[in-house]
Amino acid sequence: MSSVPVNIEWLSDCSGCHIAIIDLHEKLLAVLNEISIQRCPVLTDVKDYPHATLGLISGAIRSEHDRHAAEEMRKSCDVVIAWGSCAVYGGIAGAGNVHTCADIFDSVYVNNKTTITTACPHSDKISNLEASVTPLDNAIDVDLYLPGCPPHSAFVFDALLAILEGRSPRTATGESVCARCKRRMEKTEVDRIKKNSEGVPDREQCLLSQGYLCMGSVTLDRCMAPCPQNGVTCTGCAGATMQVLAEPNRDIRTEIAERMSRLTKIPREAIVREIEKTSKTHYSYTMSSPMIGEKPTFLIQKWTDEERNDYEQDHNY
Amino acid sequence: MKLEISVHEQACRGCQMCVDVCPTKVFEFDEEKRLCVVKHEDDCIACLSCAYICPSGAITHTGYHVVKNFYRDLAFCNKMEKFI
Repeated sequence: MSSVPVNIEWLSDCSGCHIAIIDLHEKLLAVLNEISIQRCPVLTDVKDYPHATLGLISGAIRSEHDRHAAEEMRKSCDVVIAWGSCAVYGGIAGAGNVHTCADIFDSVYVNNKTTITTACPHSDKISNLEASVTPLDNAIDVDLYLPGCPPHSAFVFDALLAILEGRSPRTATGESVCARCKRRMEKTEVDRIKKNSEGVPDREQCLLSQGYLCMGSVTLDRCMAPCPQNGVTCTGCAGATMQVLAEPNRDIRTEIAERMSRLTKIPREAIVREIEKTSKTHYSYTMSSPMIGEKPTFLIQKWTDEERNDYEQDHNY
Repeated sequence: MKLEISVHEQACRGCQMCVDVCPTKVFEFDEEKRLCVVKHEDDCIACLSCAYICPSGAITHTGYHVVKNFYRDLAFCNKMEKFI
């Protein structure tokens, strides 16, 4: 069988998705026999966009360059996969949507506390930012979505192999991170929300039962649950479950509150309020996707303003 | 077609929320295995409350009359099949 040409492109993201390919370990050899990597910024020195059967694009559309690269990839590839949470939902780059571009330039270049630069770089040297961060499918048509930060190599392998063999890849099921986590979910007498840095969580019991805000129950399983199984709360990096995405009246914070208030003695309203106060953290991966960002229940500007006012009041600004 | 409920045993975390929310008491809790068990399937009215509350998404129903949901995110539903 002749090898399948593949183009890989890297827009606004951290490179973690590229590392996920290397995490295939020995299985990588099986994949490498079947494909020939053409354009791939971390591996090859190909500057143009040769024709390819498969195109993997990671990263969100943040700058004008990102949009141009995405369009070139669409023209050159038969099948385009939005690869990783940044491409599917906008990812962590999308958290920049809470601020204006002027604010971002100001705190990165002009008033940065850790560097000595005082001026913004000239726009003929770097690509201009777009007004807001958007997921990949805002710029081009996408054939398949593979969320995850990065998607666990098992899912990458599954998807690549299926496509190479001409099968349709297994589509995402309704199962959440909780489905993979081995912790015991039980009812407790806990009556307040704990910060992640507070105490050492029990090894066997569900983090929600212990009062930690874990997003496992509202997050798609694209990771095999390594965080909650090792005592770290889930941050929702693979995006919301199909249930939350499909129904505009279901939201991340209310779904967590619904479950956590049944497991503990913490009132539902208190949980909702706490997640609103920390909304930049809890919605960081998905807020720039219209699927979450345009939900009628998602009021991040209001929540961050309230949080800032509370902070300023407490600290006598 | 007969309504059937299936519980993915490996995914069930034993939280008992399905036992609590079910209006017709379909589920029982197996203390020994720490799993929910479908005991009275015939009583199920397919309200799907259990499937929605289940933190793992471990409960699926088949053979029920599907009522079109009047409030859906159509943009997402069009691409739902493309999520791998």
